Amino acid sequence: MTEHLTGAQILCQALLDEGVEILFGYPGGAIMPFYHALPEHPGLRHVLVRHEQAAAHAADGYARASGRAGVCVATSGPGATNLVTGLATAHMDNTPVVAITGQVARAMMGRDAFQETDIIGITQPITKHSWLVEDAGELADVVRDAFAVAQEGRPGPVLIDIPKDVQNQKVEWKGGKGGMDGKDGKVAEGYALPSLPSLQAAAQLIAEARRPLIMAGHGIVLSNAYGELRAFAEKTGIPVITTLLGISGFPESHPLHLGMPGMHGEVHVNRAIQQADLILGVGLRFDDRVTGNLAGFARGAKLIHLELDPSEIGKNVPVTVALVGDARELLGRLIEAVPSRTCEEWREEIAGFVRPRAESFRGGLSPEGILEAIDLISGRCTIVSDVGQHQMWVAKLFRYQRPNTHITSGGLGTMGFAVPAAMGVVLARPGEPVWAISGDGGFQMNMQEIATMVQEGIPVKMAIFNNGYLGMVRQWQQFFHGRRYSATPIWSPDYVRLAEAYGIPGWRVETAGEVEQAVQAAIDRPGPALVEFQIEQEANVYPMIPPGASLSEPIESEAISPRLAPV
Amino acid sequence: MSAPHAVTVLLEDRLITLTRAVGLIRRRNLPVRSIAVGPTATPGLSRLTIMIQSDDSAADRAVKHLQKMIGVREATSFAAQDGVARELALVKVRAPAERYGELLDVVQLYHASVVDDSPEAMIVELTGSEAFVLSCIRALERFEVLEVARSGAVALEAGR
Repeated sequence: MTEHLTGAQILCQALLDEGVEILFGYPGGAIMPFYHALPEHPGLRHVLVRHEQAAAHAADGYARASGRAGVCVATSGPGATNLVTGLATAHMDNTPVVAITGQVARAMMGRDAFQETDIIGITQPITKHSWLVEDAGELADVVRDAFAVAQEGRPGPVLIDIPKDVQNQKVEWKGGKGGMDGKDGKVAEGYALPSLPSLQAAAQLIAEARRPLIMAGHGIVLSNAYGELRAFAEKTGIPVITTLLGISGFPESHPLHLGMPGMHGEVHVNRAIQQADLILGVGLRFDDRVTGNLAGFARGAKLIHLELDPSEIGKNVPVTVALVGDARELLGRLIEAVPSRTCEEWREEIAGFVRPRAESFRGGLSPEGILEAIDLISGRCTIVSDVGQHQMWVAKLFRYQRPNTHITSGGLGTMGFAVPAAMGVVLARPGEPVWAISGDGGFQMNMQEIATMVQEGIPVKMAIFNNGYLGMVRQWQQFFHGRRYSATPIWSPDYVRLAEAYGIPGWRVETAGEVEQAVQAAIDRPGPALVEFQIEQEANVYPMIPPGASLSEPIESEAISPRLAPV
Repeated sequence: MSAPHAVTVLLEDRLITLTRAVGLIRRRNLPVRSIAVGPTATPGLSRLTIMIQSDDSAADRAVKHLQKMIGVREATSFAAQDGVARELALVKVRAPAERYGELLDVVQLYHASVVDDSPEAMIVELTGSEAFVLSCIRALERFEVLEVARSGAVALEAGR
């Protein structure tokens, strides 16, 4: 006897077949048949968010922490459009997210029906692929293909749009065949291994270089290449730079670890890049925030680029040798091809470039002090940061030791990311402290999700770096717009009372002496907790490469910068 | 060096795949001269031809981006001079009775043909390189050109 199921039931079954355990979503008219079927499948836990944007960020955070696709669900129209920022964030940072949206019934499509929107069209540039399912019989295969496309190769978000009547359509259930039926080899296809000559050419460049550097990007995390990167660095003695998304790809206590490059990179890191004669870029795309002005980037260096996506090769910087493939596999092969060496002289030279941090903070409450306390007290934890000044401090000052413990919105720079993304991280890493660190601006963009944490029992530890400003924009205004603080002062509610209103514990910290106690209390209390740090209002992130300048032109402090005069 | 390049793409003949491919070209900010799409010898596959004015590396990068797209089977690019690029144009043109013969001379000179000859105007069909088509249209503009429909170029690489 063959079984007949509705499209909605098939969708649930197909998600279970993909190993999905958690969905982040919000119901509405066009997705109601799916929500009707959901209780029949207790293996699928649904987390009801307070805004669909948070569903997409939570799915993104879940995917970054687990390495498996995160799933978000929304209804048609406004539900679907609210996912857009989250999908764009995942797209820029190559995170596997599967978005499922309800659509108006097929007969209504194209007539500007209530809550109809062309979400496939809207998300086209920010998804790897998308499907409009016009027959429930295709659903199982579409779901399987969608997970494959999202997770394989260079990962990214995908979207499945399902008209309401297709969710209700009853068809014979045969299970998913999947695998694109050989229609399109892109999913199953591996990448051709690089030719032996290019491996040998790379190995020779590495052996001959006097001032080599490794720049490690998100590809290290995505391909799980931590061991290979470390072994390669140790065999060759080449110092390792980690980009914003490469952070936690290499242990920061390691003597070969240099730090973060680029606009807010440390002076010694950027100087090392400018002095290098060889850069080995692994799994990064030479973003403009990393390179500064391209004409002045690493002018003395040859470049070896290890990258999965062939369209990234030569996109921003000219490449001497390109090795296309998975970072882990390529590093593994390169380790065998390169001779053992040390780069003592070069490393000593770089050590001579190091500048001490010399800033003062109100109440002694410095970002490094806060982060040190979080590090010491939380033990094994994951840090999810938002976007802005605190993001740079969190990237540069926290000492990441374990793989993939730093999660942030890099490419898109999405304020409001940290709080919802941290919910996904907690659910992917139960039992481990997860800190969502935000500024007062970004926190207020998605603070409604505290309600989700309370209802669903998701113990995110929230830290707010409150300086009463949209700090990074204010810093740019200070440096480049004659201190005209236009629209950057920002009022905050009483966060302790806000926490109280949501029924969670909250603390306000105004001086360095109170930090440890508050962090300890937040960790000790079960469930979500909030700590507000009232930091120096006009603290800046130093050093800074002005936009459009080269890595050789950092602003190192207020005192020595000629650019601080009013424009 | 900037020169006309043809980017040719074999893709599944679904509108969504076509809009994705064209959207990608727009998003990557490539200077497009023309776009043409039509069926191929293989059922279910279309050929999209995009003529762009660019250097080799920009054309090559467009191809690499296109090759990643689901639904794209093949994408290649070549400098227009390394292949054959042709387009078709239909020109609706009107001439007073006393210049009718002169108009037919122009049609003949460009190996074009009259495909519709209504009392009010005639439609001239012509085929050739972009420069040839443009030159012919210029010639026809000595009369009263009412409408022009051009197909955009299709192209194949020579040899190989």
